[in-house]
Amino acid sequence: MHLCGYRNHLLGLVLFLLESAAGVSLAAVNFDHKVAPLLIRHCLECHNSFDLKGKLDLSQREAAMKGGKHGSSVVAGKPGESLLWKKISEDEMPPDHPLGQAEKTLIRDWITGGAKWGSNADLDPFQLTTANRGGYDWWSLQPVKRPGQPRVTSQNWVVNPIDAFILAKLEKAQLKPSGPADPRALIRRLYFDLTGLPPTAEQVAAFINNPTDAAYRKVVDNLLGSPHYGERWGRHWLDLARFGESDGFERNNVRNNLWPYRDWIINTLNDDMPYDEFVRMQIAGDVLKPGDPAGQKAVGFLVAGLHNTVVGGSEFMKKTARQDELEEIVGTVGQTFIGLTVNCARCHNHKFDPIRQKEYYQLTSAIAGVYHGERNVSDPELGFQREALRKQVAVLSEKLAGIENHGREAALARRKQGDKPPKADPPKPLARWEFDTDLRDSLGEMHGMAKGSARVSGGALVVDGNASWVETKPTKEQLRAKTLEAWVELGDLNQKGGGVIGVQNLSGVQFDTIVFAERESRLWMAGSNGYARTQSFGALEENEADQNPVHVAIVYQEDGTITGYRNGVPYGKPYKTGMSKFPAGNSQIIFGMRHKGGGNNFLKGKIYRAQLYERALAPDEVAVSAGVESSFVGEQELAAALGQASRKRRKELKGQLAALIAREKELGIGSKMKVYTVAARGNPGEVRLLKRGSAMDEGDVVRPGAVAALRSLSSDFGIQPDAPDAERRKQLAHWLTDPENPLFTRVIVNRLWHYHFGTGIVETPNDFGFNGGRPSHPELLDWLASEFVANGRRLKAMHRLIVTSNTYRQATAPAKDGLAVDAENRLLWRKSPVRLDAESLRDAVLAVSGKLNPKMGGPGFRDVSITPNNGTTYYAPIYPKGDEYNRRTVYRFSPRGGRSAVLDTFDCPDPSTTAPRRGVTTTPLQALALLNNEFILNKAQAMADRVQALEKGRLDEQVKRVFLDAYQRLPDAEELLLAKRLAVQHGLVTLCRSLFNSNEFVILN
Amino acid sequence: MNDANTIDRREFFNWGIRGIGATAFASLLSRCSSARASSFGPAVFPNFEPRAKRAIHISLVGGMSHIDSYDHKPGLDKAHGKPLGSSEKPDIFFGKVGLLRKSDFQFKPRSQSGLWLSDMFPHIAGMADEITVIRSMTTDSANHTPALFFANSGFEFNGFPSVGSWASYGLGSDTESLPAFVVLSDGRGGPNGGASNWSSGFLPSQHQGVELRSGNTPVRDLFPAIEQPKGSDAAARAFLQKLNARHAARHGVDAMLSSRMRSYELAARMQLSVPEVSDINGEPEYIRRQYGMGESRTEDAGRRCLLARRLLERGVRFVQIYSGGPIGGSPRASWDAHENVQDNHSTEAGRIDKPIAGLLRDLKQRGMLDDTLVLFTTEFGRTPFAQSNANQVGPGRDHNKYAFSCWIAGGGVKSGYSYGQTDEIGWKTVENPVHWHDFHATVLHLMGIDHKKLTFYHNGIERRLTNVHGHVVSDIFV
Repeated sequence: MHLCGYRNHLLGLVLFLLESAAGVSLAAVNFDHKVAPLLIRHCLECHNSFDLKGKLDLSQREAAMKGGKHGSSVVAGKPGESLLWKKISEDEMPPDHPLGQAEKTLIRDWITGGAKWGSNADLDPFQLTTANRGGYDWWSLQPVKRPGQPRVTSQNWVVNPIDAFILAKLEKAQLKPSGPADPRALIRRLYFDLTGLPPTAEQVAAFINNPTDAAYRKVVDNLLGSPHYGERWGRHWLDLARFGESDGFERNNVRNNLWPYRDWIINTLNDDMPYDEFVRMQIAGDVLKPGDPAGQKAVGFLVAGLHNTVVGGSEFMKKTARQDELEEIVGTVGQTFIGLTVNCARCHNHKFDPIRQKEYYQLTSAIAGVYHGERNVSDPELGFQREALRKQVAVLSEKLAGIENHGREAALARRKQGDKPPKADPPKPLARWEFDTDLRDSLGEMHGMAKGSARVSGGALVVDGNASWVETKPTKEQLRAKTLEAWVELGDLNQKGGGVIGVQNLSGVQFDTIVFAERESRLWMAGSNGYARTQSFGALEENEADQNPVHVAIVYQEDGTITGYRNGVPYGKPYKTGMSKFPAGNSQIIFGMRHKGGGNNFLKGKIYRAQLYERALAPDEVAVSAGVESSFVGEQELAAALGQASRKRRKELKGQLAALIAREKELGIGSKMKVYTVAARGNPGEVRLLKRGSAMDEGDVVRPGAVAALRSLSSDFGIQPDAPDAERRKQLAHWLTDPENPLFTRVIVNRLWHYHFGTGIVETPNDFGFNGGRPSHPELLDWLASEFVANGRRLKAMHRLIVTSNTYRQATAPAKDGLAVDAENRLLWRKSPVRLDAESLRDAVLAVSGKLNPKMGGPGFRDVSITPNNGTTYYAPIYPKGDEYNRRTVYRFSPRGGRSAVLDTFDCPDPSTTAPRRGVTTTPLQALALLNNEFILNKAQAMADRVQALEKGRLDEQVKRVFLDAYQRLPDAEELLLAKRLAVQHGLVTLCRSLFNSNEFVILN
Repeated sequence: MNDANTIDRREFFNWGIRGIGATAFASLLSRCSSARASSFGPAVFPNFEPRAKRAIHISLVGGMSHIDSYDHKPGLDKAHGKPLGSSEKPDIFFGKVGLLRKSDFQFKPRSQSGLWLSDMFPHIAGMADEITVIRSMTTDSANHTPALFFANSGFEFNGFPSVGSWASYGLGSDTESLPAFVVLSDGRGGPNGGASNWSSGFLPSQHQGVELRSGNTPVRDLFPAIEQPKGSDAAARAFLQKLNARHAARHGVDAMLSSRMRSYELAARMQLSVPEVSDINGEPEYIRRQYGMGESRTEDAGRRCLLARRLLERGVRFVQIYSGGPIGGSPRASWDAHENVQDNHSTEAGRIDKPIAGLLRDLKQRGMLDDTLVLFTTEFGRTPFAQSNANQVGPGRDHNKYAFSCWIAGGGVKSGYSYGQTDEIGWKTVENPVHWHDFHATVLHLMGIDHKKLTFYHNGIERRLTNVHGHVVSDIFV
């Protein structure tokens, strides 16, 4: 059948290999290509170095020859004496699935021919997919290849390539696509799909009157631009993020401050942030954009899940609870972004996917600094005020600079006329490295030692950007204020993150280094641990250092001010952060490396000379040291060069600026709001593998990393096991979003498809592994993935593509041949009808009743009572009245176990785990909720009241209005008659209540 | 495949007599591509002749002391006042290890079988010949909520389906007008974790436990929450039917449309059957007295036990009764006897002893006990040493995850029987340990289900109630 096509393909490949194997001569039996795959597919499941069934390990040459508890398995040249052959030939092994004749022959011939092992002493049991598990060759792990558009017969049906992929499969199955949905159905579908809300009767009428392709596309653009888009698709994302506003477990305490994450999601989706950035922000926003509230809100993703706050007294309980928490986070990250259930490898290698237990712990190491907590961030409202103040500061600063520049020019002009500024001698460094012939410190004892391929050549230290650097012995003096300086020529200007000269503590965890282009391409920066003392100098891009050496210096003042210099003149603007102490005996100077343990750490280039000062140099000192003619004009000289009016104006401006800056600072302090987010521990230390997942049974230290099965990426982050949290999570964010990560794009385009059509191309959106579904349209999936990249990873472009396809615009009517061949509609011979999800249903009731409060953002409305009772918090539905409670459901405060009758029965998941797809059930409890629930009845009444007031005394008009609002169409003659009779006898409210319960309201065509 | 098949495969209506056959099986079929699903094959439940068709699960919240109730330890009497004498640091909750303390209750052999039971439960002791006590229970957590989740779902976390949900999923219900899984909470409040305890987790929502409360609306939204115009209910329903019929005529009959129409018929039936089953006034006086109704101490549990029997009689698959409300507080409203076991357990047992014994007797009289399981469980046991300073014998006991007792009655298990043993002082299980996974596997087995076959795919795993563990304890079967 079509769905199993992929497997058949694999099977075919295997058969092909075997057939070709049968014919070859004995001598040529190639172990690597013929025998190894056989062993991997059929034997290593049990006989590997971990499981060792029968004490036999067939994955290693030595062990395989030696055999297990029953004796030697392979006797070269003698199949008759080889246990392996005996068990296989007698169909005892592999159990239940004996090998075919060709395969058996292959094994016998191999033994007869000397049982020569192949190129690798160890076989990797994960190398190939077997009948029971996936290997590195698993379909979803392979690079995305953009397929060509398939040929179809009915080319005129194809409006974009999606249709070609769909139609090709339909034609193959001898099915026809359905005709286009009627305009009313189509436009309602589109509104609900893109915004989660029904259109108004007027919006529907407008489209019905002009149902052209152009008009449709216009509606699509409008809806994608609507803020309701973010609310709708944000809700989908919150399902994945298991967004819950209480802790779960015993206490189940309220989380008052997780909503900023929800708002960040909604706003960011509305802004159409590129998806890779969207994801990086949720993994590491707080460390990628320190100080930016958005980053702190975005990482709410990591801690939106359960949090056990009663972990018991024993060390075992505490450690286990922490491991459970890490598994919860790692599992959600793995499933959400790359569709792999990495959490299944906590206690052992993954049973179904090629993921080793070690890799699970590499991932836990990557997030080991993540803890649940609250942080203060800036209030956005006050943020706007601060922004306005900053603008004023900028304007005044510019004016001030104008005056001062004028003064400087005047001073320099005076110099030319003979007024010499006092000439200073070059300042005396603490240490100097000439790199003429060696790595010695020509002033003291801080001689360098070369690492990797670092060498002195042509009067410079040459480093190649590949784990090569120079380091000194520990310093003999403490360093506080300091100046770093070097003359450097870069290998190329596109390199990133390498250090020129730096001081670090011996572990590399704390450092101040002159770094090139780590955060901003082509810019110099003061690199520091976790960017603690790093800000942009805001200077111009480097464009020369690859041709001529430049002089670069960074001055660290005692008060935390950091100033950069290039070729003796200030490099951008100084800033103030903090000062870091580097104690004697535990610090060292490094060259060519940012710090020990970092990623993208190494410089490619030549360092001609470097100097270290144990104090902050003044600007003119730097200039002198740089050997350039100093254009620095000191305060005295400047003042002398300015006229009296300018001096006065300058003084005024300085006063105003100081006041503004103080005010801005004050706002910064008063403008904090609490956000539930990652309370990161900067240095979480080493992580060890836990044997069988037991918190008390520690194994080897693992480095931060990810999954090795993606062969296009390195699973090792290239940082030390004790690297700072910031470094770890940044690397994780980059690994996940790496352009070479095929799962990253496949998984998200499949999610979009899933939400648009009700079923994904892969029907298990969180699982692209062996246990998950196989793609119904693998080529389409890859085409979408590559198109997504081509469109800048913007979700809205993909929505537009999908909803403008003819595939999406089909009618829903059942068709006999379609049902017969493909009842599940995986081939999309029609558009499947959609039962409104819980939120859309509630929102639709609000909208058509006229009660919807469109207020966006802020703390959620609480339609549950919150009862703390002896250490447990209970939530029960309540039905308070007021506009606040008529907001969209995405703004509902959603505690765990905080049940809402309507949402619950309509399959809204409790946010205990990530919910990539929702159930669609039909039960009498649903009927009861929709008939009798207080919320529903209130809204029926509100709708009746509104319509009665609008069409006073005109029953026909009232009934028509109710139909128009609920269905966006007029009743037909019989409906009108029946509805009027109902309204007369039982009130208009009964009509409204009935319509809310009707199939036409609840199910979309 | 043909037309007739497609209707079954597209079965949207998921309530009532068919369990997994109607929903999960259809979804499994649709996932022909999944290796797990195809190797799993078409599972049909029950897998074999069930011994029990339905179950009542009585869950004691807070941790009942086994050494004071169902596990007689003469060795502990002898060791009273001595230290535990182990170098190993026990994994308990508060971590205070006092001296060993003998039971505060008197044990003696009971009934024909001579099971040793204490006087904590005198009425249940009178029914000793009907029960199998498992004295070798163990669990993974000595922490209330995770331990209770574990007892209910086989996992320590929120989000996993409970036993009742799995039973509903596998077997459905024998009635269409009542839910398959009904929960009766303690009148003093819900257990810690609240509704998460009877969540259907990732199973379809119809398998969620439905809480049946006292009062006029035993099931949420059974009747209009706001008074509606007289006669409007029936009129709205009739109108709705016509409206839906016209809609179907216009758009073609889809399974989803017709199953929604059917759900309204069943909702109407529930409006009749729920009040009927909830109304226990029609029960004879002697039956009510047998359950302890009319006495303030046992009124709450008595009413719920009687209600449970009525629900089962009408085809409900699984009823869960809680003994104990929230953890913590003073006086305690649960079995969490950190301060004083004698006081606390006397009070708690007094509330349920007579009702449960009454239930057993009633089921037996009606011949229902043969194919009804009664499960009596608690989340963990309590320590043989006092929760006090190291040189003292305080009156309270801490949590004990290493050993505790549960019992099962009816449904094909032995009567007047005990299984498994703890050490001399009741600190740890030493013979035939029964972990929750084993207990769950056993319960499913008694209901005709192979616990390894009852699975549901969720985020990468064919989930089971028993995770990847579970051995059926067939020694306790008749």
